[in-house]
Amino acid sequence: MSILIRNVSKQFGSFKVLDNVSLEVRDGDLLALLGPSGSGKTTLLRIIAGLEVADSGTVLYQDEDITHHSARDRKVGFVFQHYALFRHMTVAENIGYGLKVRKTAKAQIQERVDELLKLIRLDGFGTRFPGQLSGGQRQRVALARALAARPRVLLLDEPFGALDAKVRQELRQWLRRLHEDIHVTSIFVTHDQEEAFEVADRVVVMSEGKIEQIGSPDDVYDHPATPFVYNFLGNVNLFHGRIDNGKAYINQSETEHVVFVRPHLLEIDRVPNGGDHFRAKIKHINSAGPLVKVEAITEWGALVRVEMPQERFRSLHLLKDESVFLIPRDVRVFEKGRIA
Amino acid sequence: MSTEALVKSSAVTLTIRRHAQEDAAWVRWSLTLFALAVVGLLVVVPVVNVFAEALSEGLRAYWNNLFADPDTRQSIFLTLTVVPIALVANVVFGLAAAWAVARFNFPGRTLLTALIDLPFSVSPVVAGLMFVLIFGLQGYLGPLLRRDGYSVMPYLISILGVGLFILLFFLFRPNSHQRSQAFWKYPWLSVPIGSAAVFSLLFFIQQYFHIWPRNQSLKIIFATPGLVLATAFVTFPFVARELIPVMEAVGADEELAAVSLGASGWRMFWDVTVPNIKWGLVYGIILCNARAIGEFGAVYVVSGHIAGKTDTMPLRIEKLFQEYNLPGSFAVASLLTLVAIFTLIAKATLERKIPTTAGLPEPKANETQL
Repeated sequence: MSILIRNVSKQFGSFKVLDNVSLEVRDGDLLALLGPSGSGKTTLLRIIAGLEVADSGTVLYQDEDITHHSARDRKVGFVFQHYALFRHMTVAENIGYGLKVRKTAKAQIQERVDELLKLIRLDGFGTRFPGQLSGGQRQRVALARALAARPRVLLLDEPFGALDAKVRQELRQWLRRLHEDIHVTSIFVTHDQEEAFEVADRVVVMSEGKIEQIGSPDDVYDHPATPFVYNFLGNVNLFHGRIDNGKAYINQSETEHVVFVRPHLLEIDRVPNGGDHFRAKIKHINSAGPLVKVEAITEWGALVRVEMPQERFRSLHLLKDESVFLIPRDVRVFEKGRIA
Repeated sequence: MSTEALVKSSAVTLTIRRHAQEDAAWVRWSLTLFALAVVGLLVVVPVVNVFAEALSEGLRAYWNNLFADPDTRQSIFLTLTVVPIALVANVVFGLAAAWAVARFNFPGRTLLTALIDLPFSVSPVVAGLMFVLIFGLQGYLGPLLRRDGYSVMPYLISILGVGLFILLFFLFRPNSHQRSQAFWKYPWLSVPIGSAAVFSLLFFIQQYFHIWPRNQSLKIIFATPGLVLATAFVTFPFVARELIPVMEAVGADEELAAVSLGASGWRMFWDVTVPNIKWGLVYGIILCNARAIGEFGAVYVVSGHIAGKTDTMPLRIEKLFQEYNLPGSFAVASLLTLVAIFTLIAKATLERKIPTTAGLPEPKANETQL
């Protein structure tokens, strides 16, 4: 089931949550809505589910305009961040609820529930209550409940947000594999770029009610379309400067352009090495972990973060308060006016 | 050897800390004794005394005091009529108000929350007087109620019927793709037409069968309707007050989940909302019931003390007491005291069942067996 969102806007009081958003989700996609809190990603998901009504714009499933259909008519599966399992029903009753309200025969419900319990690897847990399950188990039950009535679309609102790091990791891979098996069009909301990249085929980066960029994880990370995307996806060093003949001149007094450099794309050396470079003084070294993180102060007083592999760090023997050359390997330049 | 020393030292620090946190023995003992003495003097002794006085002339006299006197019997019957009606009204109102406050954000939400508490802060006597001013035959609505007062009833009942019709229309409206008939399809057309039909039908039935008496004033004050109004007003915060925090703690997610799974609003309410709030609701009803049965001030003003007609149990107790019929008055009082004791026990039992935090308790189960 493909989904088409056309010029959707939503306002809460005077606050514009969604500003003329258009998006196409292809059939069988596993799409991530990625953005910081307040970017409107959850509101967009809830509008797709029918749990929220857009002020203007249309939502289409395939060719059917469902803008004014209620949530119960849309046949979507919705997974909430805090599971929202019916606490007074057993696991089996929870999973079968969608079938029960759609008047499916009892034997059929039983069969489908057993099938789903197997799928989420909780067979034998059918008679338990949600309160007796762990967080990861509850979220899998919530997913099974959403899938039971064979929804046209699966929508997940920060599905792993309430879980601890290890379970989150396992559930991500599980969701990825599940999608490969059942291929239902799925959209999930997350503020965690790592999660979006790991699970989704396509990533939609949102900020302040607008879509900043749509693309595959590689696309979005390697070719960020806007300064916001570059900034949001990972650490970044920011310099002011100007562009002249295709060359960036970093200078804090020039403010018409902004230059972004990722910490791992800055190289430290004791000799200038011929290429573009600038000087800095090392202020702090953190060598725990696979990457060594170095903080340095440039000649004009700006703080720069550099990351390098352990081997490189060991071969250089860097010391605190040492003066070094910084060589940017790759930079991105944006015009000043485009930064919010 | 070394571990033993460690254990010992930690035990020592534990006892030291306990002593540091505790007050001196005489402070603890005197505070406890003071609290016990006050409770004993002000609560236990009077309660025991009520039963002692009521039973002082034996069980037979006790029984006769309660049920042989027609006026006392009537007062018990009146209380058993007024209280359930007020309770039902307050449950309906409490559910609606709690739903509105906990689930929607609308202008005037804070004002509504404040207004729900109004009966707590207004003296019951003032509340009673207010109703006398409005509904008394000399009050604001007096001209409407005097002489042919019952003529307002057909309108009132018909309007209620229309309200019920609109509610049922939207509750039982089928899914959008099943809406083949125009009746369900175009609410802007079928609701006004249906409402008009319901209104005329109900109105016609009431007029045709002469359900309401003619040329009579409709008495609200100094009659049962006034007692119901006063009792409902004084007790209406209880159910809403109990339900609002429970509904806020439970949250709307489960309800939304039910709707997205295909449940109708009606279905969602009975399958998800009611099971989640039921203990809060029962708790509210019990408190409301206790207060409604014992209400004196507001009822005193609107009842007019017509013995055998508008005396509820508390009013009857006072009257018997004034007539120096102490065993009689204590016998009725003992019934109210029994209700109070039952309320206390039910309250203590229910308090543990009401959800107070959002979501489910975090489990300690091992997560590795994924």
